[in-house]
Amino acid sequence: MKSYAVALVALLPCLAASLGEVDKAKMIGNPGAPVRIELFSDFQCPGCKAFHETLLPVIIRDYVVPGKAYIFNHEFPLPMHPYSREAANLATAAATIGKYQQVADVLFLNQTSWGATGKVWDTVASVLNPAEQKKVQALAKDPAILAQVQQDVDAGKAQNVPQTPTIVVSRGTKRYAFPGPDQGNYVLLRSLIDGLLK
Amino acid sequence: MDFSNRYFRWLALVLRIALGGIFIYAAWAKLRDPWELYALAINSYEVLPLWAVELVARTLPWLELLIGVGLIAGIGLRIWSFAVSLMLAVFFALMVRAFAKGMQISCGCFGGTGDIISKWTLLRDGSMLAGSLLLTWMAFARKRQAGPPASAVPDPAPDRIPV
Repeated sequence: MKSYAVALVALLPCLAASLGEVDKAKMIGNPGAPVRIELFSDFQCPGCKAFHETLLPVIIRDYVVPGKAYIFNHEFPLPMHPYSREAANLATAAATIGKYQQVADVLFLNQTSWGATGKVWDTVASVLNPAEQKKVQALAKDPAILAQVQQDVDAGKAQNVPQTPTIVVSRGTKRYAFPGPDQGNYVLLRSLIDGLLK
Repeated sequence: MDFSNRYFRWLALVLRIALGGIFIYAAWAKLRDPWELYALAINSYEVLPLWAVELVARTLPWLELLIGVGLIAGIGLRIWSFAVSLMLAVFFALMVRAFAKGMQISCGCFGGTGDIISKWTLLRDGSMLAGSLLLTWMAFARKRQAGPPASAVPDPAPDRIPV
């Protein structure tokens, strides 16, 4: 029992380092920026694909590049999508080797295909070399990675995330959920973020 | 129906306070957050251009507050009860339209990130609309039943003595 406890204590820094890497890889921009934009997204949701491919680059251009905000990606796999949890686990595992964005890009790009066939791993593997594939495949079953994904889901539920994608913008104690951001309502999101920056 | 009896007076009071309280709470829920969040909810109905969405988002909560206070104060009840019925009828029609179209959107009833439109939200808002219509009917009917001032009512003819 004692040796188990010692081993657990010895392992904790490794786990913490690994989860710290996950956080870093899931972040876009400088965490010292005044506004934090949290994105709750599901790899199998069509609205999230549209957001990832059209609006996310605009937000990065307008707020992340000038250092006004940074983005943090949260997994929010919806129960109605049979493969989204697997995709979230694999993407989070890929985050530990710094490949989160590449995996997210390829998952959204080929969403229709793997969403129909269930071949999530084949899609993820296409952007990894053989050594990375081995590592990610093993990590995707790691309880720490599964717990990390569940932690994202729990964070979304705690913040009453009603749908995906949902953005939560915050600065200090001010925190606002903005569900369903798209190009049609970007002017409102921009006004909200600009209000926080004042 | 005699709306001046005690039962109807109590019913009117309950409806006034309930609807007034709900409207004040709805206004507060919208005004405590930035207007953009309520604008997002209005925009998701896809009925107004963006400039009108902003106008409605910035003004409607203040109108709700005014109506809520007016209902609870009970002065000029015909105006406030008519206003609340009209507003709820518009909200309800928009919610029914969105539900029929299968739109998975927040109703925006109590701010930007409220309940997604469902049978439950329709039942809730439908009940409020029914209550407001009843209150409006009572307000107008009581006014009619009160009739013209006493001085304007002619005395009954004294010479009509049954033979």
